[in-house]
Amino acid sequence: MTVVYVLIAIVVVLLILVGVLYNRMVRLRNEADTGWANIDVQLKRRNDLIPNIVEAVKGYAAHERGTFEAVTQARAAVAGAQGPAAAGEADNLLTAALGKLFAVAEAYPDLKASENFLQLQHELSATEDKIAAARRYYNATVLRFNNAIQTFPAVLLAGVFGFAKREFFAAEAADRELPEVSFQS
Amino acid sequence: MTLQQQIRANRFRTILVLAAFALLIASIAGAVYALYGVGIGAFVLGIGAVYGVYAYFASGRMVARLTGARPVTREEWPEVYHLIDTVSIAAGMEAAPPLYVVDDPAPNAFAAGRTPATSYVVVTNGLLGEMSKRELEGVLAHEVSHIRNRDVRLMTLAAVLVGVVALISDLLARMLYFGGSGGRRKGGGNSGWIFLVLAIVTIILAPLAAVMIQMALSRRREYLADASAAEITNDPEGLALALRRLELDDREIKHVTQATAHLYIETPLRNATGPAKFVAGLFNTHPPLAARIGVLEEAGGFRLPDSLPEAGDEETRTA
Repeated sequence: MTVVYVLIAIVVVLLILVGVLYNRMVRLRNEADTGWANIDVQLKRRNDLIPNIVEAVKGYAAHERGTFEAVTQARAAVAGAQGPAAAGEADNLLTAALGKLFAVAEAYPDLKASENFLQLQHELSATEDKIAAARRYYNATVLRFNNAIQTFPAVLLAGVFGFAKREFFAAEAADRELPEVSFQS
Repeated sequence: MTLQQQIRANRFRTILVLAAFALLIASIAGAVYALYGVGIGAFVLGIGAVYGVYAYFASGRMVARLTGARPVTREEWPEVYHLIDTVSIAAGMEAAPPLYVVDDPAPNAFAAGRTPATSYVVVTNGLLGEMSKRELEGVLAHEVSHIRNRDVRLMTLAAVLVGVVALISDLLARMLYFGGSGGRRKGGGNSGWIFLVLAIVTIILAPLAAVMIQMALSRRREYLADASAAEITNDPEGLALALRRLELDDREIKHVTQATAHLYIETPLRNATGPAKFVAGLFNTHPPLAARIGVLEEAGGFRLPDSLPEAGDEETRTA
């Protein structure tokens, strides 16, 4: 009789353990999902701004067609990218293309002085700050999630419940490292 | 300690603070009952309960009033709002908290509110004038971390409840001083006994208030908020610079009471002297700034220079 009780006790303990681990993985996955949604919002906002900026520059420098096309293509690539890693790379290309566009704009003092252009430029740089911030949060949540599903004992359950490793939103190598700050006093 | 553990610990401590407050009200009501009979005792108990419930739900607004903070619109401070927007996104907050200002030349900041959705961040005029963008970002990240870690509910509640404890304590001390009159009305025989009850309650009050603040303010939460801020901004040096600037500045914010001191990023009671200094020591709620800077230096692998460049001179320090 006691053997049965011991077995029941063991099963109950195991079930509780599985439940705790499962809930933790779900919570971390949800955090990563939220993090990705945040990046997505900011990427869309920037993609909405870009046509206006291209139009503004076109008004002064219509012949710089190559630059405009590069920006438009990079923008489409970001919108169509599959998965965080691909989106991250497309994002880097778009940043580079935008850099060239603004370099072109430098040569047109009237454009640089235009109220509309300045406003757009300001909004773009604000949005880029937010993309960087959202990226930091997302990559931190991915790191936590991946650590959680790859360590024992959760690693035994991750496959069963279909928790797969997440991709980082591509970032410069230096950006990916999170500072380890100890607060033990 | 993970974020989840910190949130749980804060929830537990919030219950402790509320329980301590309930105990206090009950003992005062008990003393009043012994003095003046059951009717007034029940009345005091009722008032205490109503205040407790009101304080719990309105604590955010009450703290704003206690500290003289007023809300600032996005139009007034577009740049500071942009900073707090990005910091909130990096912290994974659903929305950026609104900004409040306290008109004071001393640089300082705090966060208050009951839930993350109703919390706000307060900075002084002095902080904006003193800090570079990078340093301000570190300070805002520290305050947003307090909101995210659910520190603010506990800290806000402690401010509101401790405030009333101080008030009652003061009132009782006065009653004790003029002790004779209260007893004589009820009949001379038991006035000595009543005097004793009042004395005991008063003696219990002050330490209880101290315990409530201490529970709200384990010094670890400041280290934790610093660590979170460094992670959020990915720039421990920015926050360290901000803390050094606070350390070097010896002005202090006005309108700070014992009840609200623990809210601020830097202790506002540094320059206290005499008995006030003794009390400030009892309620020592902040680890020294030098220690906090040291932790950040170790984490980020940098060392701050002894002197700081002028605020606003971005070139010299962003390297």
